[in-house]
Amino acid sequence: MNVSNELAAVPRLPMLAVVMLISACAGPGYGPIVQDLSVTARASERLSPSGQASTAVVQPASAALPKLQPQAPAVTITAQPQTSQIEAANVVKVQPVQQIKPVATISPSPVTAVVLPASDQRVVEQLLAEADQLKAQGKVTQSVIQLQRAQRIAPREPKVYARLAALQLSLGEASRAEQLALKGLTLVPQQNNYQYYFWKLIAASRSHLGDVSGESAAISEAAKYK
Amino acid sequence: MTRKRAVSGRKTITKSWISWPWLLKLATVLLVLGAVAMVYLDAQIRHRFEGHRWSLPAKVYARPLELFTGQQLAHGQLNYELKQLGYRWVNQVKAPGQVQKTAAGIAIYSRGFRFADGDQSSRLAQVNIINGKVQALRQLNDQPIAVLRLEPQLVGGIYPAHNEDRELIQLDDLPNGFIETLLAVEDRQYYQHYGVSPWGIARAMWANLQAGAIVQGGSTLTQQLVKNFYLTDRQSLWRKLVEAPMALLLNLHYSKDEVLEVYLNEVFVGQAGKRAIHGFGLASRFYFGQPVSELRLHQVALLVGLVKGASYYNPQRHPKRAKLRRNLVLSILAQQGFISESQKQQYQALPLDLSTAQQVSRYPAYLDVVRQQLQQHYPASALSSHGLRIFTSLDPWIQQQSDLAMRGQVKQLQQQHEGLESLQGALVVSQRDSGELLALVGDKDGGYAGHNWALDKTRQVGSLVKPVVHLSALESGRYHLMSAVDDGPIAVPQADGSVWKPQNYDLTSHGVVPMYQALVKSYNQANVRLGIDVGVKRVVAQLQRLGAEGNIPAYPSVLLGAVEMSPLNVNQVYQTIAGNGFYSPLTLVRQVTEANGVLLSHFPYAVRQAASNESVYLLQQEMRKVATAGTARGVYRYLPKQQQVAAKTGTTNDQRDSWFSGFSGQYVATTWLGREDAKPTPLTGASGALKVWGELMKNLAYTPYQDIKPQSVDYYYLNPKTGKAMPSRCADGVWLPIQKQLAPVTTKQCGY
Repeated sequence: MNVSNELAAVPRLPMLAVVMLISACAGPGYGPIVQDLSVTARASERLSPSGQASTAVVQPASAALPKLQPQAPAVTITAQPQTSQIEAANVVKVQPVQQIKPVATISPSPVTAVVLPASDQRVVEQLLAEADQLKAQGKVTQSVIQLQRAQRIAPREPKVYARLAALQLSLGEASRAEQLALKGLTLVPQQNNYQYYFWKLIAASRSHLGDVSGESAAISEAAKYK
Repeated sequence: MTRKRAVSGRKTITKSWISWPWLLKLATVLLVLGAVAMVYLDAQIRHRFEGHRWSLPAKVYARPLELFTGQQLAHGQLNYELKQLGYRWVNQVKAPGQVQKTAAGIAIYSRGFRFADGDQSSRLAQVNIINGKVQALRQLNDQPIAVLRLEPQLVGGIYPAHNEDRELIQLDDLPNGFIETLLAVEDRQYYQHYGVSPWGIARAMWANLQAGAIVQGGSTLTQQLVKNFYLTDRQSLWRKLVEAPMALLLNLHYSKDEVLEVYLNEVFVGQAGKRAIHGFGLASRFYFGQPVSELRLHQVALLVGLVKGASYYNPQRHPKRAKLRRNLVLSILAQQGFISESQKQQYQALPLDLSTAQQVSRYPAYLDVVRQQLQQHYPASALSSHGLRIFTSLDPWIQQQSDLAMRGQVKQLQQQHEGLESLQGALVVSQRDSGELLALVGDKDGGYAGHNWALDKTRQVGSLVKPVVHLSALESGRYHLMSAVDDGPIAVPQADGSVWKPQNYDLTSHGVVPMYQALVKSYNQANVRLGIDVGVKRVVAQLQRLGAEGNIPAYPSVLLGAVEMSPLNVNQVYQTIAGNGFYSPLTLVRQVTEANGVLLSHFPYAVRQAASNESVYLLQQEMRKVATAGTARGVYRYLPKQQQVAAKTGTTNDQRDSWFSGFSGQYVATTWLGREDAKPTPLTGASGALKVWGELMKNLAYTPYQDIKPQSVDYYYLNPKTGKAMPSRCADGVWLPIQKQLAPVTTKQCGY
């Protein structure tokens, strides 16, 4: 080659320049140290990190621990538009393959009118209020997280179960709501207002599930406590 | 760069005999080549700098400690948690991360944290605590605080193959004096030079000449970054050559602050086993257990000093060396006028102040399950590289107590008995109603040597199955706790034509006994008879509804626990019993968010009724009696009398397995002990596993056992011999709840 012939005669630095060039052209053998795992997102797939989209980001995965076979679909990772901000540079967009069920429109719960007694734990009332606030902002999942936080702090507080069940019902998770209300019932054998509330909620859940006989059984139970 | 090469070229010429035209041609070729190389390098620089800069391991967090009025803390718990979080005790709290002893308790200045449900701002709270119970929480202005949520402890990461770990920080996160210190030591002209510093090189050369050795490097921070960020660590010709031009390009494209920020996160500052500690953010956590924003100048000086040689000056391994280096850095600061001579002396007199908290990765069994669970939902690459934040329910205090209880009791048992060298153990703790897994011990040492005994290994459960037999009997509607059950010898014909003749542990028959007594004393013959009458299939179905996994063949021997389960799965079954008959899957991951806090996954609380509340209530009362008057009564060697627990012991054939499972007001825990080779041991459930369980429960916060009696049962004072309800003045009666539908005959006389 012409270039190398010329260079054979030229010592030191120019030689290095060629080495540099050859290495630079070598391609895959040399490159950035860390593998870049990001792929560009299609615009339609990009999720907005705020607002009402937050519910769509959440994957409704059942977390039953001991079952080790895959339960939820894998998620695809997409990258955000590149930016030089450190925080943003590492943001990952995780897109669930299956979207959460659209929020079912369940007519206002017939039981929301029932006034439940305030919890004697200040912290519970505070967390329930925060949950309400989040829900009002459309952050339903964050609202559920607050309620579960309240449940951990006061695991036998019926009001927390009442709110969890009502929220699940409003999300169209009628079966989940029914079971939560059934558990709530075990905490309040002597409290008529709660018995009424939970049975009404069970009736509404069963109605949603198409369980006609179950619904009427729940309605007649509720009637005992009105 | 081009100009530089041209200059060097000219030098070559003077010595060369190559003619001028040749040289011109050569220069042109080189110019072109150089330009191409620059374009290539430029692309490299921009690609890496603006793209996905680092593979960030997922961060795994423990549950945050929440303080609220009425909360009961275990003895020593708050101090332990604060220490693990790197809080500093001071005389007057002024900044986040500080705590102060006060007359009525403590003042905590919490750090803010971004939780999955939103930001928790930093706040200063006065916490009044009497006997471990939080009496009140107030702000400085005396306003009550409903709940103070501390930031969660970082308990581990899910590391990629190359094990680089870092915690990203921004310039704003640095405490005062950090940048000044870094630049004073590493690159004084940083904000003035063009990426390379001829003056710096000259200065270094001069210093080296004077010293007769290499004492200073001429590399700028930009060059150091190029070296670490773009080029392999090998000393190669290529690297030497492109380092300077790349530094110039980097300097050209990006602001000084941007480059510095990347440097702060890239720099290598330590090695912990396979894990490489990169960046000052993680370094601060790693060495001091504190966020970098809270560091004081002597700590800053130590971190900056580490840049020169992280392993040589490793403060954990070579504290003296590290202190000398730190003090040298402080001297440089004084020399350059950043601090006064007296400040220098004050700082130099301070200790290294390394974190005394236990380092991360102390929860191998728990993290192992977290990883397994997450791998169902996320690809491995996402877990090891995208900086996801995993919020778990791990309770660091309970995990610590679990490890200690297991280690201490196993050691003691090994000293007391022969042949227990290969004794293994597992311990599972969950929260009673939420079903969240709080702690997991998968090995007798709390370590992890390949097997997670809580999860991977199944063993026969023995008498732990008996509560399920009783539950099935109660669910049939034909039995109550006083029902007469025959404990006489029994022979059960098997499907293969053979006859099974189970015997009692004491090889004695006890005649006709009330049903509850069969459980309290764990009589095999009575329990088999009860199970046969109810139906083995029904018992198996009930066991599965409670959460037992896998295929369980309905052989009569199941009634005595000839069914293999893992300790985790046993805990699931007892969890359902403790949760008033509502199954909720044991979970450990609460939420997953992106690095910036955007919520990705959340695991909603769900329950499924597995038995009637009435039957479960009755069973719970039986199990309470097992603890007060039966095979589990040994727990009261550990617990105060007023602490109510419900429990059951389990021992398998030839004492191969020692089991204990039960629950208090707040916790469900299961312990298993046995030899690795499954050979017989001298241990029963009561003389082995019970001790670990008792030792653990003793050290957890006491919470009352809230018993809620269903309306369908009433309490009666019963004569255990006749089953009749008698006046409470009579002797030798027993108070038991009985279903209203099966109300006992009442007598006015005693003894009938």
